[in-house]
Amino acid sequence: MELSRRTLLAGGFAAMLGGTVIGCSSSMDTGTTKKNATGNIALWCWPGGLGKSVLDDTIAHFPDQHIKYSEIGGDFKQKLLTTFNGGTSIPDITGVKGEDIASLLPQATNRFVDLKSIGADSILGDYLEWKVKQATTLDGKVIGIPIDIGPTALFYREDIFTAGGLPGDPAKVAEQLKTWDDFLAAGLELRKANPKAPIVADAVDLYGTIVNQGTSRYIDKDNKFIGDQDHIRKAWDIAVKAITTKVDGKTLGGSPDWNAGLDQGTVPTVTGAAWVALDIKAACKTSVGKWRVAPTPSGPANFGGSFLTITKNAADPAAALEVIKYMLSADNQAKAFADAQIFPSAPAAYDKPQLKAPDAFFGGQVPIEVFGPAAKAIPIAYEAPLDGAVAVPFSDGLKLVQAGKKTSDAAWAEAVSKAKQIGKRQGVQ
Amino acid sequence: MTLTAAAPPKAPRTTKPGRRRSIWSYWRFYLALSPFYLIFLVFGLYPVASTILLAFQKWDGLGPRTMVGFQNFGFLIEDSTFWLALWNTIVLFFMSTVPTLAIAMALAVMLHSAVRLKGVYRIAYFIPNITSLVAAAIFFAAVFSTNFGLINAGLRGLGLPTEDWLGEPWGIKIAISTMIVWQWTGYNTIIYLAGLQAIPTEQYEAAKMDGAGPFRTFFSITLPQLRPVVLFTVIMSTIGGLQTFTEPQVMVGNNGGTGQSGMTVVMYFYNQAFFNNDYGYAGAIALSIFVLVLLFTAINWKLLGGRGRS
Repeated sequence: MELSRRTLLAGGFAAMLGGTVIGCSSSMDTGTTKKNATGNIALWCWPGGLGKSVLDDTIAHFPDQHIKYSEIGGDFKQKLLTTFNGGTSIPDITGVKGEDIASLLPQATNRFVDLKSIGADSILGDYLEWKVKQATTLDGKVIGIPIDIGPTALFYREDIFTAGGLPGDPAKVAEQLKTWDDFLAAGLELRKANPKAPIVADAVDLYGTIVNQGTSRYIDKDNKFIGDQDHIRKAWDIAVKAITTKVDGKTLGGSPDWNAGLDQGTVPTVTGAAWVALDIKAACKTSVGKWRVAPTPSGPANFGGSFLTITKNAADPAAALEVIKYMLSADNQAKAFADAQIFPSAPAAYDKPQLKAPDAFFGGQVPIEVFGPAAKAIPIAYEAPLDGAVAVPFSDGLKLVQAGKKTSDAAWAEAVSKAKQIGKRQGVQ
Repeated sequence: MTLTAAAPPKAPRTTKPGRRRSIWSYWRFYLALSPFYLIFLVFGLYPVASTILLAFQKWDGLGPRTMVGFQNFGFLIEDSTFWLALWNTIVLFFMSTVPTLAIAMALAVMLHSAVRLKGVYRIAYFIPNITSLVAAAIFFAAVFSTNFGLINAGLRGLGLPTEDWLGEPWGIKIAISTMIVWQWTGYNTIIYLAGLQAIPTEQYEAAKMDGAGPFRTFFSITLPQLRPVVLFTVIMSTIGGLQTFTEPQVMVGNNGGTGQSGMTVVMYFYNQAFFNNDYGYAGAIALSIFVLVLLFTAINWKLLGGRGRS
C-alpha cells in the first residue's frame, strides 16, 4: 500500500478510536479491587466536614503518609458512588454523611474495610455507642468512625416565654416541659397570651423529631415493615394534636418565613440538633441574647452526624486508621468544635475548655450542659437502608392534615399503604 | 517515497466515471463532523442506552446489577405517587406554557410596533431567562411565603384575605407556574419578534388597504405566517415544561410540598435514584418521561401541522 498522508491520518484516527473504545471497556470492569498506590493517602470530605486547623495539623503530623485532602462539593454521596463505579482515583479515606451510612451498609464487604479487622476495637469505646452502631452491619462489621453527631435540644425565646406566662430559666423550662404533652399544654397557655407565637414551628418537623426519639423506626432488623405500629402512630398523634389544638405554626424549617420568624418572635421555639444553632444565629439580629437551650421534651434525639471510612482500595488500611484515630481524638474533636461547631462524637471532648465556654447568644448559658447529657442519652435504633424512603409518605400525609385537606385517620391509612408499597419495591415484608 | 500527496488529481476521476464513490472517499468530511458525534456518543447515546438497560434491572448504585425484566414497569403502574407526579407535570405544563406563549405573543406584537428603546425592552425581557434558576426559585419562594411574602403583603394592603401559597396544593402549582412564566416569557418573545420581523410588510399594507383592523390583521396574517415559529416554541416549551425540576425542588423541597402537589416526574425520578438508591426504578421513570415528551411533541406536531403544508 502506498503510504500517503491520507492513509496515515485515517489509520491514526482509527487507532485512536479503537484505543478509546478499549480504554472505556477496561475501566468498566469493577469486579476486582485495585489497590491505590502506596506512600500516600487520599482523603475525601465535603466543605466544612472537618475542622480546618485539625486537618492542617493532621497532614503535618503524618509527613510520611503524604495525606492529600480533596474537598468535594455538591452531591457528595453521588460523586463517591460514581468514583467507586469508575474504579480509579478512589480515595483511601472518605467521609460518609449520616443520612447515607444506612444505605451504604449493604456494600460494607465490597467497598469498605471492616475497621474491627484492622484493630479499631481499642478505640471504638471512645465514641458514643449509639453512633458507632449506625456504622455497624447486622453481622457486626464496623465501617466508620464517627466525626460528629447532632444531639437535639429545645431552643426557645426566653423573652417570649416569660411574657406569655411560661418559665424563662432553662432549669425551670426543663422541669415544666418534661414531655410533649407538657409542651403542647404550654403552647395553649402561650397562645392565650400571644396568639402570634405558636409553640410548635412545624408539626411535621415535630413528628420527625419524635420518631428519632424512639428505639424502633419503620423497618425492623428482619426487614419487616413496622411503620404501622404504635410507636409511629403515637408520634403521628402528638403531631396531629399540635395541629388540632392550633399551636402549630406550619412554618417549614429553613423557609423564608422561618428565618424571619426566629428574629421577629413568631417562631419562639426550635427543636433541633446542635448545629441548628448556626442557622438560628445567622437569622437573628435583634434577638441576640434572648435565646436559651433546654433539654428536648420526652428525651433527646439525633439528627445527622458523619463518619470517616476506609475503602477497600486503601493501600495501607492500618496507616489510614492511624490518621483517623489522630484526627478524631477527643482533643482534636474539641478543636474542630471551636473551629467550625462540629459537635464531638467522643464524650471525653465534652469536658474540654472549648466546649465549656458560655455562649452570649444564649444569654451566657453553657450549651454543652444541655447537649452533653443529651448526646449520651440518645437511644439506639436500627435504621434500615430504606428507612428514609419509607418515612416520606408519613410526613406527606401529615402535611395534608396540616393543610386541612385530609382527616388524620384517612391520611394515616394512605401513608401506611404508600409506605408499604415503597417497601415492597425493595423487598421489605 | 514522499509523504506529500503529489498525484495528479484529475487522473482517477476521469478513468472510472461510472463507479459510485466509496464512502471512505468522504472521510475528511466525516472527520470534520466527528467531534459532535463522538461527544454525543459518549455523553448522549451511551447514557440513554444504559438508562434503557437500567430500566430492566435492579441496582442500588454500587452492588451488582440484576436483570428483573418488566418488574420496574409493573411497580410503576401500581405506584400512585408516579401517577400523581405525571398529573402534576401535565397540569404544571399547561398552567405555565399557555400563559407564557400568550403573553410572549402579545409582548412581541407590541415590541414589534414600538419604535423607541426596542433594544432595552428586549434585554429586559430576556434577563429572567439567563438568571440562575436556583436564585430565582429562592426569590420566588420568598415572594410567595406566608407571613413575610410580597404577594400576601399586597393582599393584606388591599384588605383581601391572605393565602398560605406554598402550603396549599393549588398555591404551590400557581407559585411554580408563575416562576416558569416569568422565566420563559422573554425568551419566547424574542423568538416571536424575530419571526414577526420576517413577515413581509406588503401583506400588512394590503390588509390595511382592505380595511382590516388590528385584530383581524393579527389573526389572518400574523398568526398564520408565524405558524412554524409557534410550532418551534410549543415544542421547545413541551420538552422543557415536561422536565420541570429545579423550580419545585427549591421552592417546596424534595418531596413536592403539601399533598406532593409540586412533585414532578423528573423530581420523582431524581428522588428514586439519588435518595432511595433505586436506580433501576428511576430508569423506568426516566423512560416514561421520554415517552411522554415524545407523545406530546407528536400531538403538537399534528395539531400545528409541522410539515409546512401551507
